[in-house]
Amino acid sequence: MNTKINLITLALLSSCSFGVLAQGYGLADAKTDSVKFDAWECKRCVVETGTTGSISAGIAYNSEDDIYSANAFNSSNEVSGKVDADIRYRGEEGYQANVDAHNLGMDNGRMDIDVGKQGVYNINVNYRTFAHYESNSALSPYQQIGSDYLTLPDNWETAGSSSDMTMLNSSLNPLELSLNRDRYGMGVEYQSESLLTTYVNFQREEKTGTKTTSGSIYNQSMMLAEPVDYTTDILNAGIKLRGDNWFTSLNYTGSVFKNDNSQLGFDSAFNPTFGAQTSGYMSLDPDNEAHTVSLLGQYNLAKTNLSGRLLVGQMTQDQSLTSIGYGYDLPADSIDAKVDITGVTLKATSRLNREWRVSGSYDYNDRDNKTQIQQWTQISINDVTGEAEYNTPYDLTTHRAKLSADYRITQGIKLDAGYDFERDERSYQDREITDENNLWARVKVNSFDKWNMWFKGSFSQRDGSEYQASETSSTEQNALLRRYYLADRDRSQIEARLSHTPLTDLTVDFGVSYSLDDYTDTKIGLTESTDTYYDVNVHYAVNADVSLNAFYNHQTIESEQSGSSSFSVANWQADIEDTIDYIGAGISYRNLMDSRLKLGLDYTYSDSDSTTQVSQGVTGDYGDYFAKVHNLNLYGEYQATDKMSIRVDYQMENYLDNDESNDISADTIWNVVSFGDVDHDYTAHMVMLSMTYRL
Amino acid sequence: MKTTNQINTLLFALLSLTASALFLSNPVHAAKWDATMTPAEVEATLDKKFAEGKYSPKGADSCLMCHKKSEKVMDLFKGVHGAIDSSKSPMAGLQCEACHGPLGSHNRGGKEPMITFGPDSTLAADKQNSVCMSCHTDDKRMSWESSHHASGDVACASCHSVHASHDPVLSKQTEMDVCTSCHTKQKADMNKRSSHPMKWNQMTCSDCHNPHGSLSDDDLVQPTVNETCYSCHAEKRGPKLWEHAPVTENCVNCHNPHGSVNDAMLKTRAPQLCQQCHSGDGHTSSAYFGNTSMGSSVNDNAFTGGRSCLNCHSQVHGSNHPSGKLLQR
Repeated sequence: MNTKINLITLALLSSCSFGVLAQGYGLADAKTDSVKFDAWECKRCVVETGTTGSISAGIAYNSEDDIYSANAFNSSNEVSGKVDADIRYRGEEGYQANVDAHNLGMDNGRMDIDVGKQGVYNINVNYRTFAHYESNSALSPYQQIGSDYLTLPDNWETAGSSSDMTMLNSSLNPLELSLNRDRYGMGVEYQSESLLTTYVNFQREEKTGTKTTSGSIYNQSMMLAEPVDYTTDILNAGIKLRGDNWFTSLNYTGSVFKNDNSQLGFDSAFNPTFGAQTSGYMSLDPDNEAHTVSLLGQYNLAKTNLSGRLLVGQMTQDQSLTSIGYGYDLPADSIDAKVDITGVTLKATSRLNREWRVSGSYDYNDRDNKTQIQQWTQISINDVTGEAEYNTPYDLTTHRAKLSADYRITQGIKLDAGYDFERDERSYQDREITDENNLWARVKVNSFDKWNMWFKGSFSQRDGSEYQASETSSTEQNALLRRYYLADRDRSQIEARLSHTPLTDLTVDFGVSYSLDDYTDTKIGLTESTDTYYDVNVHYAVNADVSLNAFYNHQTIESEQSGSSSFSVANWQADIEDTIDYIGAGISYRNLMDSRLKLGLDYTYSDSDSTTQVSQGVTGDYGDYFAKVHNLNLYGEYQATDKMSIRVDYQMENYLDNDESNDISADTIWNVVSFGDVDHDYTAHMVMLSMTYRL
Repeated sequence: MKTTNQINTLLFALLSLTASALFLSNPVHAAKWDATMTPAEVEATLDKKFAEGKYSPKGADSCLMCHKKSEKVMDLFKGVHGAIDSSKSPMAGLQCEACHGPLGSHNRGGKEPMITFGPDSTLAADKQNSVCMSCHTDDKRMSWESSHHASGDVACASCHSVHASHDPVLSKQTEMDVCTSCHTKQKADMNKRSSHPMKWNQMTCSDCHNPHGSLSDDDLVQPTVNETCYSCHAEKRGPKLWEHAPVTENCVNCHNPHGSVNDAMLKTRAPQLCQQCHSGDGHTSSAYFGNTSMGSSVNDNAFTGGRSCLNCHSQVHGSNHPSGKLLQR
């Protein structure tokens, strides 16, 4: 036994000896010459073998019909069940097995099973599911929902306007807009006694459901349920090597995406217009693949840490093109798209001494789209016959360089400052190069009793090559337009956070930030945006059993933009104000009733609101656009016996949202057949009863 | 008005809390030596002790002579750091003193500092972390030194607990609480009208960010923003025949992945968002007023009603249709 510990110690010291910085307490620097490991028997170390943990089962009742409530309650069923498990098996010689399951059986469930030997190998099998529910009250006259061709009823009568469609109202049926993901995975990792680790992980995800899209013919549009039936396989594999002061790994990631539906066809609800089309087809997201190989490395000197990554990858897509209803010759059956990705990243951080630390990094990322440029005739959407257009495979090269230093003025005061540079080079766009220079500084003060705080300020300026509407991009755009992601921009930001602990168990945090984006050369487009934010948080541990917390967050984002309806100078203005108020409080009370009962209550309220005003002589607004959500969660857990506890959860969600632009019937807009009003207004209750058994 | 009332209620609650706190204080949790030594003195003592290397005569058995009665101390043996069968566990080496430093004279009354971790430790975060990082350097943690958390002086033990069978932050059910206790703005974001499903823990911060730092901007788990998005939204990856330039360049040109008061996590609603980039000689440059006193309504036309621009240009993420240049098919 003693000999074994000695050997283990040597192995540990050699394998754990990197990451060591001169001012730290790294194991490799430990002065162990005088340690007599023979006497370190660890007799008092109590490691129990066997199975421990708990398993619980629960049943829930959801009162609400609006399926949106299932996002909060994790199930769209009126009655649902779940299993949670936390089971740990410890065997002799480091063999172990774990089962972790949470909400298994519900829409947001996951499970991990791990089997292996500590520090040697691990085999993992996992499952995860999650769902998002949008609506179960969208209305559509279309049939065959979920398929790749949506038909109208046999007796449908087309019309020039949706309100003249005599069969529309009688043909409307509710449909569900929701997406569900199921993920299955497995992985193996093996660590040798020496320097080597290898791993392989595989995951398959199946995503199914329906989401909103729109099919349009000329200037007429129909909201449609797009079928989602995706399968994505991801394989990760690699080998890692580590030494006394270095680490390296070679990794492969492959991702293969398959869509069971390559196109979506639909009957036109409207009278045929140009081209006499009675049906339309749209291409759905094509099958694609991405493969990446990366080499990572790290090397630690006494005071300096160097790390880097080399990465090469390729994204490809060769799905057969949709030709139904196209009517022109295709230059190719598929586009054989290829994008090569190259990345190089280098980072260095050096702790020069106890006061100074400096860092620098450079990052290069190149997206080289090698897809062939070809001529594609566009289907006539008006009285102009089909125009020939060329695809524009976009390239993007990004360079980022960063330098920063931090200086510890005293034990409790630290000053950081840095400079960041980013250059983006792109093809076929109005501006081929943008450069952004950013200066920032932050001071952290922890030297006052009961107060911690930091302040940060930054200023960045973006400019670049001449802004021009090139022939390949947008000759038709207003010459004064500056697209916001390419435009000159001055960005100023300040941020502060204070934490006050007036009593040991009472903490009050206060944070505030302000950001101003000034698009200095923009006459048409987004001209200015501000973001004001603050929050206050209180946490108070009244005693060992009772704790209270409360918080309030507020944010206002204001944007201003200009346009020109005369295709010359700006003559209209839009002002948008987005706000969020988020407030909440909670209490937890443990050890009631002779330490058998635990109670908790959490309440939150969020109010998202957006207002839009457009002015050009007259001023108009976009009406209500808000979401107001109250959530209440009350729980009680009673330890009935040493082994068994019972828990009751009550959740309430009061949800109200609105978007006046969608306060419509299927036929409100003459050239749109819509899903109608899909707002939510409900008070949903869920009660869950669960029982936990401790092994 | 409703909000204002609620704010007033909250402020009253806060005041009540503060007032009650003045009369109910609890004992300080700091270590014994913090009563007599400044943080600088503690650090200097620990430096000296570490350099001298006066380890205990019997390792963990020496420490547990006094500390065995502490449940928290003994909980170490329920987790991986207390494993006695693994050659990679601290218990196979310097045992307790691998992390807490050499015993020195600490056993004479417990007044001599040991290396301690977590929020109650006065030891500088980088000093605490140097212990952890001497073993935990791998592909997931190799960028720790340049991470946001390291430069913000976050200690490993601020988030992690090793004296436990289960580190709470590694549980997806509690991860969000740990992250949002500091990242309060993101907590508000995920409660906006639209957000990734983080409010109910279906997704967690670590699905996109590596809290230990990464070689990418914003400590993302993938090399770029778009590749991070593609890891769950592979259908958006293409490459498609007709790309939408800002989409190809950066998803966050239009979306705020932490949440937005607009649907679909859009920074601005349509048509305004689209009109920030499109002002052609035609319908893209018109002013769309919405509700006016002149009788027009926001929901009576296809430019502002329904899906706005997306009523026709529904393929905003790119199209693979031969006639998809205008992102309609």
